[in-house]
Amino acid sequence: MEYSLYDFRGSSLNIQIAIIFIIIAVSFTVIAYLSILTGRYRAYKREKKLASLHPVIDNLLMEHILLNDELASDVPADQVALPIEVFRLPVFEHRWARQALIDRLIDYRNNVRGAMGEQLRNLYIQLELDKDSLKKMKSRKWDKKVQALAELSNMNMSIADVTILPLTNSSNRELRAAARHAYIKLSKNEPFKFFDVVTEPLLMWDQVELFKIISTTEHIAIPNFAQWITYSSNKSIVSFCLKLVVHYNQISAIPAVVKLLDTKDRYLRADAINCLGKLKTESVEDKLLQMYDSQPLNCQLEILKAIGRISSGRHVDFLRQEFLHATDFDVRKHAAKSIINNQWAAKGLIDELVETATAENKLILKHSMNPLIKY
Amino acid sequence: MSNRILLVEDDEVMPKIMERILHKEEYKIEHVTNGKEAFQRLEDTNYDYDLIITDIMMPYASGFEILSKVKTRTNGKPIPVIIVSNAGNEEMILEGFKLGADDFLKKPVIPGELLIRVKRLLMQYGAR
Repeated sequence: MEYSLYDFRGSSLNIQIAIIFIIIAVSFTVIAYLSILTGRYRAYKREKKLASLHPVIDNLLMEHILLNDELASDVPADQVALPIEVFRLPVFEHRWARQALIDRLIDYRNNVRGAMGEQLRNLYIQLELDKDSLKKMKSRKWDKKVQALAELSNMNMSIADVTILPLTNSSNRELRAAARHAYIKLSKNEPFKFFDVVTEPLLMWDQVELFKIISTTEHIAIPNFAQWITYSSNKSIVSFCLKLVVHYNQISAIPAVVKLLDTKDRYLRADAINCLGKLKTESVEDKLLQMYDSQPLNCQLEILKAIGRISSGRHVDFLRQEFLHATDFDVRKHAAKSIINNQWAAKGLIDELVETATAENKLILKHSMNPLIKY
Repeated sequence: MSNRILLVEDDEVMPKIMERILHKEEYKIEHVTNGKEAFQRLEDTNYDYDLIITDIMMPYASGFEILSKVKTRTNGKPIPVIIVSNAGNEEMILEGFKLGADDFLKKPVIPGELLIRVKRLLMQYGAR
């Protein structure tokens, strides 16, 4: 039975809409399947080409770099001549093959260092593969830029500030992270200069990423973070710098952190108190106590924690008052923890509290005394 | 008779590099790509290796598990173990030495250094 255009015109509107919808859906499904198949076929072809090229690259690198006797001796890497000509194979005129060579060079550099690592970098430069990476930096596609940044930073190639700094503030999360990573790794003198140009808030995830980069990158020039604590208008940068001050135990930044106690932003103030507590800044204890009553709850909790961390033993009575008379549960909990932290000066008090406290307070004390619970 | 070395490494490039460097010194290298295969190979050969070089983070069983098993064996000859890993933070290094690792090399390695450390350990343990 045939269904003609005439029948279509004659059918009701609902049927017509349904038929059009079915045709569109079937067409899109076919296109989707075709594009998946094409993609897989291309990937298969690429894998096949790479499978035959990788052994060639491996052999070249092994013979001329890794098993090079001159490099194994005491001769400096830059004085050993590279046999560039053997790497100038016709296949490397193709972009995909050059990319495979770059990727392999990076793989090797991730595994070997010293003179051989240096020679891998020299090879990358002498084969002008750095130009390929720089070309990708100019691409409009963010993933190409990320790839280029990874290549250049792995090969320890410098990138002009004017090119990389705007990328550290990109709206694309991946690109932003790659640019910051590259900047920290490549900038010898001022790896944190991009803090000056960050206009958007540094999200918690960004901070975690940055922290990971900073703690895993070797030989970073650590600046005085007080400069951003004092001058940055970006609150998240200030907050992150406070954490870095703690991480690097940067005592010289304490005056800048103390000034921050007067900021109107209560979250930043809490971060500053946290920082001072972790740096065990005993000189600031009295000021913290003076400001305690006028502070919002988050700052009060940080003050209690700071007194516990500093553990000077001078403010045990204050902690006792807060523990016994505060109505807020968190205040009592942090006061108890800080009393326990000051136990070298509060042994008698702790015994007394264990004897006389209410059932709930006893529970808090017991919890605070558990050494397995991180303070 | 050449020394027999078991290399446990799931990375693609590192085993190639090590094999070529160590083979040049006529060591016999056997490569497995994960902890499970390493255990199997050790059982099959009755731990007949002069040295084990292992990564830490691998599928099925970590380098620490291999290290622990090799070092807690009560019978048979002692086998030196070198850990080569890019996860070289302080805790991991200490954990490795606590479990009995003879050496710890952080990736990227200096090939010459690796070779010297291998030679030193083989000599120390009086390998074949």
